[in-house]
Formats: sequence, structure tokens, C-alpha cells
Amino acid sequence: MANLADAVNLVETEQTARHRRPLRINWLALAMILPSIIALLLIGLYPLLFALSLSFQRFLLNRPQNNGLFVGFENYATVLNDPLFWSSLGRTLTMLLIVLIVQIVAGIGIAVLIDSSRWRAVNWTVKTALVIPIAMTPAVVGLLGLLIFNRDFGLMNYLLGLIGIEKVNWLGDPTMAMVAIILTDIWQWTPFAALIMLSSLAIVPHDMVEAAKLDTKNSWTIFRYVKLPYLMPGITAFMIIRTADVLKLFDMPFTLTRGGPGVSTELISLYVQRMGFRIFDMGVASAQAVLLLILCIILARAYIHFFYRTPESE
Amino acid sequence: MRKGFVFLLVLALVLVGLAGTSAEPSRAQGTWSLAEAAKPYAGTEIRAFFLERPGYVAAQQMIPEFEQITGIKVTWDVTPYENSLEKQTLDFTGGTAQFDVVLVDVVWIGNFAANGWIVPLEKFYKNPALADPELNLDGFFPILLESFGTWDGVIYGLPFDNYSGLLYYNKCMLQEAGFERPPDTWEELLNVYGPALTKDGKYAFALQSRRGETQSADSFMRVIWPFGGSLLKDDFTSNLSSPESLAGLKFRQDLMRYMPPDIVAFDHDETVQALAQGQVAMITEWSAFYATLANPATSRITDCLGITVEPAGPAGRKPALGGFSLAVNSSSSEAKQAAAWLFIQWITSEAKAKEYAERGGVSGRRSVYQDPEMIAKFPHYPALAESWEKYGNAVFRPRFPEWPALSDVIAQFGTEMMLGSISVEEGVARIEAQMATILRDYTAGRLPKLQ
Repeated sequence: MANLADAVNLVETEQTARHRRPLRINWLALAMILPSIIALLLIGLYPLLFALSLSFQRFLLNRPQNNGLFVGFENYATVLNDPLFWSSLGRTLTMLLIVLIVQIVAGIGIAVLIDSSRWRAVNWTVKTALVIPIAMTPAVVGLLGLLIFNRDFGLMNYLLGLIGIEKVNWLGDPTMAMVAIILTDIWQWTPFAALIMLSSLAIVPHDMVEAAKLDTKNSWTIFRYVKLPYLMPGITAFMIIRTADVLKLFDMPFTLTRGGPGVSTELISLYVQRMGFRIFDMGVASAQAVLLLILCIILARAYIHFFYRTPESE
Repeated sequence: MRKGFVFLLVLALVLVGLAGTSAEPSRAQGTWSLAEAAKPYAGTEIRAFFLERPGYVAAQQMIPEFEQITGIKVTWDVTPYENSLEKQTLDFTGGTAQFDVVLVDVVWIGNFAANGWIVPLEKFYKNPALADPELNLDGFFPILLESFGTWDGVIYGLPFDNYSGLLYYNKCMLQEAGFERPPDTWEELLNVYGPALTKDGKYAFALQSRRGETQSADSFMRVIWPFGGSLLKDDFTSNLSSPESLAGLKFRQDLMRYMPPDIVAFDHDETVQALAQGQVAMITEWSAFYATLANPATSRITDCLGITVEPAGPAGRKPALGGFSLAVNSSSSEAKQAAAWLFIQWITSEAKAKEYAERGGVSGRRSVYQDPEMIAKFPHYPALAESWEKYGNAVFRPRFPEWPALSDVIAQFGTEMMLGSISVEEGVARIEAQMATILRDYTAGRLPKLQ
């Protein structure tokens, strides 16, 4: 959930930047937040700087004799010339695009349904149920996926069998294995989108909706011009969080397919892990991680630039 | 008087001589005791690296006895196999000595030993204060001590959790199809048993082939050796494009007709389950899975379970070999090292071997496999002992530090080969290209050619 905090911070800095006040330092407040700042620097910034320095060194864990040798941009050159890096990055970005679109659209749909429902008990139950997939450990989700997508005994093929569809070779076929990973991710994270959208819908002023209803009976028009603007900050935050999330998505695919069959589900994080902890080339693995971080920052800035609008600015 | 004095002198000398001769053997055998040896280390706490497998559960059950005798406290961490190389490597390179008793897979011994991360055991077994006179290193199956205990002629670990590949089969399914015995050769399995047993949604065979060590070790290497192939030539260049290696890999492609269509997603669990639930008729799996297959709670075929040695290929019988030894971390303090040694020596000892086996472990001690009582209890023992005694292949997988990287490359192209997205020849060519880079320090003569 640190991601959520980061994203909210980003959104807030954008807001405060617009109405900047003269700087006055509140020493007491500073003293009180100092311990957490120090902790953050230690566990956030230090490893980052360490990885940055590693990325310029030869650092093989299983041949430690010449470790620490400065090699300039050699590790970066290795990464950029590695076709496997590009193919796993491409796979990850394709998956990101698909899950973002599906999760945002489905999330809004679920949120609007709950928001317009009048039964409080149903609302409460659905909201609680939505939290369950998010709260599950990704590694466990992957293990569940192994059972659900098993060709012979799996739940998925059983359900498909009920409507007369032949057994699907989910985990043994390169394309279907990727589909299984995407479906699992959608299952786990659509509820998160729904919850964010639900809280955004809650801040839409009631009188504005009422006023709009006087002008038009078309509920799509009301959604598009009255409600959607209030959803945009939430959507942007969701996109930033999920982008970082998918770029480092590891546990679930690792337990579900381990990147196989072949390289068909090798997402970028699996590849970085493989480089670091199977091939034990920490230098190259760090270079990959640094490049990913840069990509993540660029995407986050792009999202804010293109999607982030406060309702007032519409 | 003088006579009497001489008599007394002679008597005294004789008595001293007698005492001397009888004292010698007692110091070698009788007076060494674990309790005495452990006295200086009482209160020392050591930590062991364990997996979640039956042998480690057996050890956990036995540890209280060791603690009681020695006063040494033994704790342990249970880690999934997939993370264990990474976790231990980080412990070694960080010098943190979290684990005093480390676990060495057959394919890690070169890595750990060449980097000096584990202690040559000579240090302990040549020290009379620490060495149990009944240690008897020759009591281990030589292949086990050699392959995952020894590197470059030096012993680093004692075999603890030992595996051989075995052919498990469903007698009832075979009998129904008219077979009175399991296949003796791989060709027979493919040509005779394959077509007869693949029908009605059931398959003749399953070869665990999921990407990872399962693909590279259990699937890829398993078909190369029996056909006379190998991974490397003596000069450490690839031998994969030899006609023999290619024949093995092509054999695997042919065999896929008689295996479940999602075989590339099968790990050990799926494979063992497929046999246990009656979905496939035969599997070649590690000896350790006997416990799962023979237990009515986890297997439907306990009455039909048959076990024998792996089938032979044109080059003979070359079953998969695997297992783990226990070794001592070089970064641990001297006291912890000694305590760790005493524990390793005790848990792998001949005296404890039977108890260890009865609790679910697979001992590396020959004596257990000759015990008629044990053979009656564990019907797979003769096949297991035969595999180690006659067909053991210490370099079934190379044991140098580069194996994990190589294994990854093989796992990737090996599965792609099986899926048919690349041909066997093309897959081999791609593995060879990357292998040449990974092993360049060997081929250029910068590293000694040890595997």
C-alpha cells in the first residue's frame, strides 16, 4: 500500500504546487516526522543508491573474485542488446495495457452498480467481498491458479465443460498460459479499481447530479460530464499504482507458470529475478532494475500529464 | 629378596604391558562418546538449512535426542527448494553465517566449494576429539559421497537426503493392457507400451517438464544420457549436437504422443498426482515420492504400485541422480563449526540410519538397504540400491558454479523444443550459443575443467 501513499502524494504535490504559500517551517512537526523520514531513507533510498552503484560494477555472486570492478555502462549495454529483455518488457507492457483497460472499465461498472443500488446490506456485503482478493498474498493466488487452471482437475475446465467447451490447455500452451496470468491479475485487482471508483463517486456533489437530471434524462451524458471528472484523479492514481505493480509483478506468475512454457509468460520482473538470483549477475540485474525504475517514472509523469484533471479544471 | 623383587618387577611390567595393550583400543573405540566430544560446545546454538521434504521432518523429530546428549541447541529454517540456492548464496556472500549447517544440492557443490563457502570436512574427521571412530565414510554409497559430498577430491559434505530416479508404474493398468512386467528399455516404453496404454483420456507416461530445474534436470538430461549423449565434451564444449544427444532429444519429442498434452506445465506434484490418480500408467520420478505414492491418503493406486529401475537406453541404464549433503559454513565461528560437524556426523551416522529411514528419510548408508526387515517395509529399496550401486552417474548434471545459469538456458529452450515452437536442432543450436558464452572461462583455460 506504500504505492497508494506515493500516488496520493504525487497528486497532492500537483495540487499544492498550484496554490503555493510562503514557506514557514514547523519545527515540531518536522521533529515528529523525522524518524519516519530516516526510516524511509534507510529502507527506500539506500537500497536504490546501492543498486545504482552496483549497476556500474562487475558483480557476480557465484564468482566473487573480481567483484566491484567499475565497468562503466557495460551492464546497461548488455541489457539494451539483450533480445530477451526487450521481449519480456514487451510482454509486460502488453499485459499492462490489457489489465489497465479491463480493470478500469470493469471497476467503474461495479462501482456505478453498487453506488446506484439502494439496499444497504447488499452494498456492505459486496464491498467486503471486494476486499478479499486484494488482501490475498500473490503467491497464494498463484498456487490457487495452479488448481483452477489445471487441465484435468481444474475448476476452469470443469465450468467450461458444463457449457460444452472442450478442455483448454491453460498452463501448457504459450498463449493460454499468458491468458491465465492476465485473468488471474484481473480477478485480483479489479475489486481494487472498483473500491477506488466507489470512493470517487461518493464525492460527486448530489445537487450537481440533481441539477443535471433536470437538463437531461440520458444517464450516460450525466456520467460522462458530471461524474467522470470526479473519477479522473482516482483513475490516474490507480494507473500509477498498477503500472508499478505490473512492472514488478513476480510472486503470482512465479508460482503459477514460473515464466513458462518456454518464455511465454516471462514478465520483466521474473527476468530480473532470474538474472539476479539464478545467473547471479547482480550488475546486469541492477542495471535492468534501474532502467525499469526510469520507465516507471516516465509512465507515471505521462499519466499525470494526460489523465489527471481536477473536476474544477474541466 | 632379590628374587622376590625381580618377580615383582616382572609382574609389574606385565601388568603395565597388559594395561597398555588393552588401553589402546579402548581409547579408539570405547572412550570416544558424543557426549564427551560435545562437552566444550554445550550451550552452543546452531541453525540448519532445511527443506519441506520428508527427510527433514525425520531429522526434526530426531533433533531432541541430539540436544539431550550434547547440550547443543539445533534450530532450523524450512525453505522452498526454489529459493534455497538464492537464500544460502546471499548468506555466504554477506558473511552473515545465519546457517551453520548448510544444505548442498548435487549441483551446488562446485559453487559452494570453489568459493570457499563450506569447510573441508578433513578438519573435523581427522581431529580425534571430534571424529566418531565409527564414522565409516566407506559405509555411504560411493556415488553419493562423490557426487554431492566431494569436489576436486576433497570431502565437503555428508550425504543426507538422497535420490535416484525410479520407474513407478501402475501394475493394474499394465496388466489390463496385457503386460506382465514394466518396460525394460526406453524404446520398448515408446513403441510397445505407449500405444497400448494411451486411450480413453489416459496416457502411458508422464515426464515432468515444467520450466526450471525440472525441465533441465528431470526431463532434458534424463533423455540425453541413456542414448549415449552428454551435455559437455571433455574440453567443455557442447556435446548436444552429437548424434547421440540429438537422438535422445528426438526420442522425447516422439514420446510426447503418449504424454498428457500439458506436460510442459507438469512439475513433480502434477506428475506424481497423475500416477496416483490413475491418469497415467508410468512415471520416472525421484525415490522420495515413494512415500506419497504408497500412502492411501494421497494415492489411489497403492495396491497397484510397482517400482523398478529406470528403463535402459541404447547406452545402458542411466537413471537420474540427485540429493543433498549437509556441510559446515566457513563463516561460522569455530565453536559453531564443531557443533555443526557433530550434528552432521550424528544425523548421517550408520547408528542412526535405520531410525532416520523409518521416520521417512532416505539414508545414504548401504547397511540400511541390506537389512531384510527394511526391505520388507520399503519395497523400493532394492531398485534404489541397484541404481546407486550399479548405474550412478556423478556428473548427471555438471556441478560447477555456472550450472544454474546453464540450467536456465536449457529450461527455456527445452520447453520451447517440446512445444514445437522451435525444432530440436534449432533449440540445441541456441543452447550451444549461450553455453559457449557461459563457459568461456573454461574453454579459454582460465578455469580448471571440473564438473
